[in-house]
Amino acid sequence: MWLKFKASIQKEFLLLIRDKAGLAILFIMPMALVLIMTLLQDSSFKAIGEKQLPLLIVNHDADTFGLRIIEGLKSSQFFKVVEEIEGQKLDEKALVKQVEDGNFQIGIVIHPQATHAIRESVKRKIQGQFPDDELFALDPTMTQVPAKVDIFFDPVTKQSFKQVIISALRQYASMVEANIMFSIYAQMFNDLLGVSVSMDEEFGSMVVFDQQYASTLKSNTIPNSAQHNVPAWTIFAMFFIVIPLASNIIKERDSGLERRLRTLPGSYSAILVGKTMVYFIIGLLQAVSMLLMGVFVLPYFDMPSLNIGNAYAPLLLITIAVSLAATSYGILLGTVATSHEQSSIFGAISVVILAAIGGVWVPTFMMNDLMKQVSQLSPLNWGLNGYYDVFLRSAAIEDVFQYLLLLMAFMLSCLVATFAYNRLKRKT
Amino acid sequence: MKPESYIWIENLRKRYKHAKADAVHQLSLGIDQAEIFGLLGPNGAGKTTTISILCQQLTATSGSFYVNGHHYQHDKEKIKKIIGVVPQDIALYPQLTAYENLKFFGNLYGLKGKILKSYIHRHLERFGLLDRVNDRIEDYSGGMKRRINLIAGILHKPQIIFLDEPTVGIDVQSKTVIIEYLKELNKKGTTIVYTSHHMEEAEQFCSRIAILDQGRIIENGSPAQLIESYETCQSLEDIFLHLTGRKLRD
Ligand SMILES: Nc1ncnc2c1ncn2[C@@H]1O[C@H](COP(=O)(O)OP(=O)(O)O)[C@@H](O)[C@H]1O
Ligand SMILES: [Mg+2]
Repeated sequence: MWLKFKASIQKEFLLLIRDKAGLAILFIMPMALVLIMTLLQDSSFKAIGEKQLPLLIVNHDADTFGLRIIEGLKSSQFFKVVEEIEGQKLDEKALVKQVEDGNFQIGIVIHPQATHAIRESVKRKIQGQFPDDELFALDPTMTQVPAKVDIFFDPVTKQSFKQVIISALRQYASMVEANIMFSIYAQMFNDLLGVSVSMDEEFGSMVVFDQQYASTLKSNTIPNSAQHNVPAWTIFAMFFIVIPLASNIIKERDSGLERRLRTLPGSYSAILVGKTMVYFIIGLLQAVSMLLMGVFVLPYFDMPSLNIGNAYAPLLLITIAVSLAATSYGILLGTVATSHEQSSIFGAISVVILAAIGGVWVPTFMMNDLMKQVSQLSPLNWGLNGYYDVFLRSAAIEDVFQYLLLLMAFMLSCLVATFAYNRLKRKT
Repeated sequence: MKPESYIWIENLRKRYKHAKADAVHQLSLGIDQAEIFGLLGPNGAGKTTTISILCQQLTATSGSFYVNGHHYQHDKEKIKKIIGVVPQDIALYPQLTAYENLKFFGNLYGLKGKILKSYIHRHLERFGLLDRVNDRIEDYSGGMKRRINLIAGILHKPQIIFLDEPTVGIDVQSKTVIIEYLKELNKKGTTIVYTSHHMEEAEQFCSRIAILDQGRIIENGSPAQLIESYETCQSLEDIFLHLTGRKLRD
């Protein structure tokens, strides 16, 4: 049994290294792909990674509240505050139209007299506590405090994202309000008692906002070009192994070799397992060579070097799972396909489609919601998500467990289908 | 029923999926130990089908057989261990050298190390291929491929050798060396079951033959017996044509 297994591994290994074209497909092509795609997409990934969210603002309140809000937003690293379009200040209607047309995801309108309204309401509250004295000259038109800020969202904006923005703005606004209130009190003390109370300059900075915003983004950190392209094309190349593997199986079948092998004592499975083993190891070698290229070669081309993180165990497990899934798929394909042409064409097309929907070409975070759903059907996507987790978040094994499980399930289904098909066919 | 000969076949039937007729129909046959048995017949007679079933490449639709007292289903492994199979098609890896191919098959039969090496060496020498041992099969001529194809099936010195048209389409020299070697093995006690549509060769080579047509045995016996029993026929070929007619088969 062991001898059979060993002999089979030796044989497959010899066949592989004699097939120069096959080796080129398995190693040279994907390395070239990684290099080219990383180079091509570098700038667009940079743009996405560093992009500030454009924020359209119409400020009708040229007083403390409006000015502080704008100043705060401008100081945030996440927003690009836009106050005029083509040199023109906008009115509320124009702003709403811009947002509805999808030119801006968020529009903010700060109402006229917002600061005034806040001051009035503060004064009214203070006055209410001293009903007998007239402390302030109140504005009789400000009995009802109007909404100070309106926020408009592009309808496609995610609910969760909206909430972050709204609550952060609300917090910030109340800080500015408190600030105003404080200054009124300070003025009052000053007038009544001649005591000067100074303002803390830090008060009301945008720190809170940035923290909240960053924490929600963290769970879907955007990879850079290398972090996407290296694992994506590695998985693609590993799945491309189905073509030489299926072709190998078909060759063995058509040449009568398989039938000959079945007449030999012992189980034919040992031979199949040996074959699978060789292709499985090739898959691992592919992964290693591509990742090494990402780490060491990309920097020579002025690209970001691949940061593979330090979660080595999950990295290894994901790689093993992807290679197993790919080889099992190759075995299934080689078993079911009736000719070389069929297996090569179907193999190539199916891998390309699975790669496309799985986010190899266009990363899933750039897809719309429907495609995001669809992408979850692709084994290449499971592998890719696993690698993202490892590279971007130094995931633990538990974090990538779902992907490992999915890939193993895919492998098992392929093997069961192969087995069932062989069973059926042997009956003829 | 107990097997009555070394290879004992009872009512073997094979119908391929989607086929209109049986490829092998109710075939019963006994083959003795140390015989050279020829399964003869025109193209499509069912020779390959029969031999494939005997060496476990195909499963029969119905019927049963025993090899050396081993039941074809219950003792599958025991049968596989004592047989050698030489298929009709060249079933070798073209990209591997003769040595690598033979080493692979030798390993699969459980041979290894020095013994395997010496077996390979002896066979290659005998078949005049020693100087080509490190050439790839794809660079071999048809006759040379056939010889390696043969060696791969008999390297492990099996008790029974099944050969499907081992001499088809090769030069006289290759054919002669193959036939001579098989005769030698047979003298040492190896049972040989072989198919051919070459009547002259079979007449000289076989101790007994069965003529197959449309999946049925239409005659069997030793070549000499048969020629004697058909008064008008001078040779196996005459009998063959007499029995199977002159109609083209494929
Ligand atoms: N795999 C197959 N599927 C269907 N029919 C087959 C298959 N192999 C052989 N046959 C048919 O079975 C019959 C016997 O074939 P075969 O045993 O190869 O004959 P021979 O070896 O005597 O030339 C033929 O009619 C052939 O067409
Ligand atoms: Mg045949």
